[in-house]
Amino acid sequence: MHLVRDVLDKQIVDRNKTKIGKVDGLVAEMRDGQPPRVLFIEIGSIALARRLGPRLQRWASRLAERLGGRKHREAHHIPWQEVRDIGVDIDIDIDVRDTAIFDWQDWLRDHIIRRIPGGA
Amino acid sequence: MIVQSRLTNLELLVGRPVLAADGRRIGRIEEIRAQQQGDDLVVVEYHVGGYASLVRLSASRMGSAVLGLFHLRDRNGGYRVPWDRLDLSDVERPRLRCPVDDLAPLEQDRGG
Amino acid sequence: MKKLVEISLGVVTSVGGFLEIGSIATAAQGGAAFGFQLIWAIVLGTVCIIFIVEMAGRFSAVSHHTISDAIRERFGFNFFLWPLLATLLVNSLVLAAEIGGASVALEFATGASFRWWALPVAFAIWLLLWKGTFGVIEKGVSMLGLVTLCFVVAAFELRPDWTAVAAGALPSLPQHDAGSYWFTAVSILGASISPYLFLFYSAGAIEDKWDSSYLGANRAIAGLGMSFGGTISVAVLIVAALVLPPQGIHQIDDYHQLPLLLTSVFGWWGFVLFTASLFIACFGASLEIGLQQAYLVAQGFGWNWGEDLKPSDNPGFSAVYSLAIFASAILMVLGLDPLKLTNFSMALTAASLPLTIVPMLFLMNDERYVKDRRNGWIGNAAVIFVIALGFVLAVVSIPLEIFGQS
Repeated sequence: MHLVRDVLDKQIVDRNKTKIGKVDGLVAEMRDGQPPRVLFIEIGSIALARRLGPRLQRWASRLAERLGGRKHREAHHIPWQEVRDIGVDIDIDIDVRDTAIFDWQDWLRDHIIRRIPGGA
Repeated sequence: MIVQSRLTNLELLVGRPVLAADGRRIGRIEEIRAQQQGDDLVVVEYHVGGYASLVRLSASRMGSAVLGLFHLRDRNGGYRVPWDRLDLSDVERPRLRCPVDDLAPLEQDRGG
Repeated sequence: MKKLVEISLGVVTSVGGFLEIGSIATAAQGGAAFGFQLIWAIVLGTVCIIFIVEMAGRFSAVSHHTISDAIRERFGFNFFLWPLLATLLVNSLVLAAEIGGASVALEFATGASFRWWALPVAFAIWLLLWKGTFGVIEKGVSMLGLVTLCFVVAAFELRPDWTAVAAGALPSLPQHDAGSYWFTAVSILGASISPYLFLFYSAGAIEDKWDSSYLGANRAIAGLGMSFGGTISVAVLIVAALVLPPQGIHQIDDYHQLPLLLTSVFGWWGFVLFTASLFIACFGASLEIGLQQAYLVAQGFGWNWGEDLKPSDNPGFSAVYSLAIFASAILMVLGLDPLKLTNFSMALTAASLPLTIVPMLFLMNDERYVKDRRNGWIGNAAVIFVIALGFVLAVVSIPLEIFGQS
């Protein structure tokens, strides 16, 4: 499997075929005497900010924590075990509603969009 | 910053230059190949090439051709570096653990 | 038979949706200042956009990705950031100009300044995107856009010397005001080869659920639709060339001069037709660009997107177009001159071309996306030509912007 060509930056789709984001990061565990093990996929602006620079990532983490609480300080993790298929999209065996990935979109929906006629 | 021991963001490795034992740059990390080993997905090798991998241009024939046109491509096409031959103790400065000549070359036409 | 209907609809949509403030203003300026001499710029721009749009459609039909999507996936986020930011910025200026164009049309109709109309126009655009579906927006408004065919009628009414018109289709060097000539040429090209056009076309192919069976239809729609659309631009230039210089107008520096294009030919009806054409053309373009801003962000970050969905099903997507529309409208409320902004944003569009077209060269040859429908040598030659053109435009447009406007 080619991680850069076939996994990184590709669209992630959940159990219900909902688009939840792109593979913004890929975390591996470095082990002594054994090959690195891919642990989880990262989604979110924190991971993206890190790709642009460590200072930007720290700023993004602080902002996210201030807006959403401590749990939003790190990027969202999807354990590699949940990946079902790698094709056009990356299919994962998780329901996005069980994660915090859509928290900001849910907030938008509940506090702004639903209040505008025609939004719901 | 919460740091657990030895976790690395693989996407940050892409595009990083790799140094040989003598400090000479042999190319940039372009691709990371992994394989299923039991329940785990493990990294088996890194593709290090002379291509301008910052934008991952080389993976198509047109990309290779255009890069070749502008002499942005190494004649030898790059190397396969097995996972245990790359020293990532300093993640920002990957170093080769073996002589360059020990490395298998990357074929021009990357199919697999 | 169904495909034939779809092709006809697609062609009509492209024709009706072709004209917008950029093409109107630049074609009129070209005609007023240089007669038929700049027709070649419109022809060149139209030919280029035909190739690019066909490729965009083919790419999406075969790969089931939009181009924005694929640029992020194929080249990585760090690269994608550049076309993302550049296109968002340029699009926001063009969107402001289009909102300005529609507001100016309302100013002509009512006498109230365009600055008062900017927010109501923005609200109408937003409402249509909020409650409408892709089909209604794309086809409905573009059908209304067929009113712009009145320019073609006007051109014929004026009985131009058709051999002189044909001669204008060949490139020629300016006899006077070289700086202004080339600046206008650059602006015309920027108006014709706007990135939002092919990015939107690619997103539209996915919204309309195209697949490989649509490749022939795609070729027909791109070829016929853009050709007929370009003809309307040429008609605007011809009308400007024949109608404005005799009235002493060789430079369009005030948008109030624009209705003269049709009042000189049709009298009071010309005024009605012009105002309607300007409004519909700019309103339609605003819908497209507003959507395109949202497509770009949503597809780049992997969010759910789709105009057919209710806003609550894609909050991020809906939020982006809402913000984009009102942010652009503010520029008009503040009183930025719509005409000056149009000229500026067309030059900037030309300058930003390489960032979106260069990735296309690689995408159109990547079997993982386009499979066996890769570009042939003609297609690649066309893209390389447009890239070269894009670089030239990028280098010359800003200096010309400064020195060409006299």
